[in-house]
Amino acid sequence: MQRQELGDFFSVICFKAAISGMEEALGEKATAIALTTAGRARGKQLAADLELVGKGLPLDVLASKLAYALGKDGTRLCIIEKIVEEGDAIRAYTSETLCSSGEAQGSSRRCTFTLGAVWGALEAVLGKRFQGKHVESVLQGGSHDVFEFTVLG
Amino acid sequence: MPINVKKIESILQNFVSGTSDIQGATLVSPDGLSLASVLPGGMDDERVSAMSASMLSLGERIGSELARGTVDRIYVEGNKGFGILTSCGEDAVLLVLATESAKQGMLMLEIKRLVSELKLVLM
Repeated sequence: MQRQELGDFFSVICFKAAISGMEEALGEKATAIALTTAGRARGKQLAADLELVGKGLPLDVLASKLAYALGKDGTRLCIIEKIVEEGDAIRAYTSETLCSSGEAQGSSRRCTFTLGAVWGALEAVLGKRFQGKHVESVLQGGSHDVFEFTVLG
Repeated sequence: MPINVKKIESILQNFVSGTSDIQGATLVSPDGLSLASVLPGGMDDERVSAMSASMLSLGERIGSELARGTVDRIYVEGNKGFGILTSCGEDAVLLVLATESAKQGMLMLEIKRLVSELKLVLM
């Protein structure tokens, strides 16, 4: 069913309230696992919708496609500035993430759903399994929320 | 040092094929990522991994909130068998699936041995 008047978007406030409620009931860790897993599924589905699965695109091309799909002209999950290879890892530089929105400076909150979405998309497009981590946070003084992915096994 | 996934897979494979009534086993990271698995066909590896880590985490919360202390394992008993989740050090969670005819004492002993073996690889 389509929402005739309200359309596809709703407030970050409601989404954050849902997360807080889940954390209250299930604990932060279990909630984080669930949200990261949900994000990964979303990322994989997004890659499939964009017909990018297994394409092995260069990271800058992939970044621009994800930036469009998830950014201001897409679902507005986050802004993806760039995805680059640094040493053995792939790093995604993001900002205005859903997870960090509304958090106070200094908050220890980590990205879960947003991390998962980028993670799932990377896995699907590149055809590799990764271990993903949120390694730099705008809430901890960073210029971006940086997600780092290392190949697993 | 990277985790030796091949070695872990080999240990799980030997455990599942060498122990009667064991149907599957999987080792997952605490954040729900599959490290190695030997599961019955039709089970989604990623879903099982996320579920396992979430269950253990939820169990730990129950242990804490309801003053049950440190959780050693989570035990699911259904009419078709058992699902046993065991913490495997700080870096992993082990899920073992067994048939309903499995002898619980033997099962626990086998899992204890398996955890010791896996911990050596994870160190």
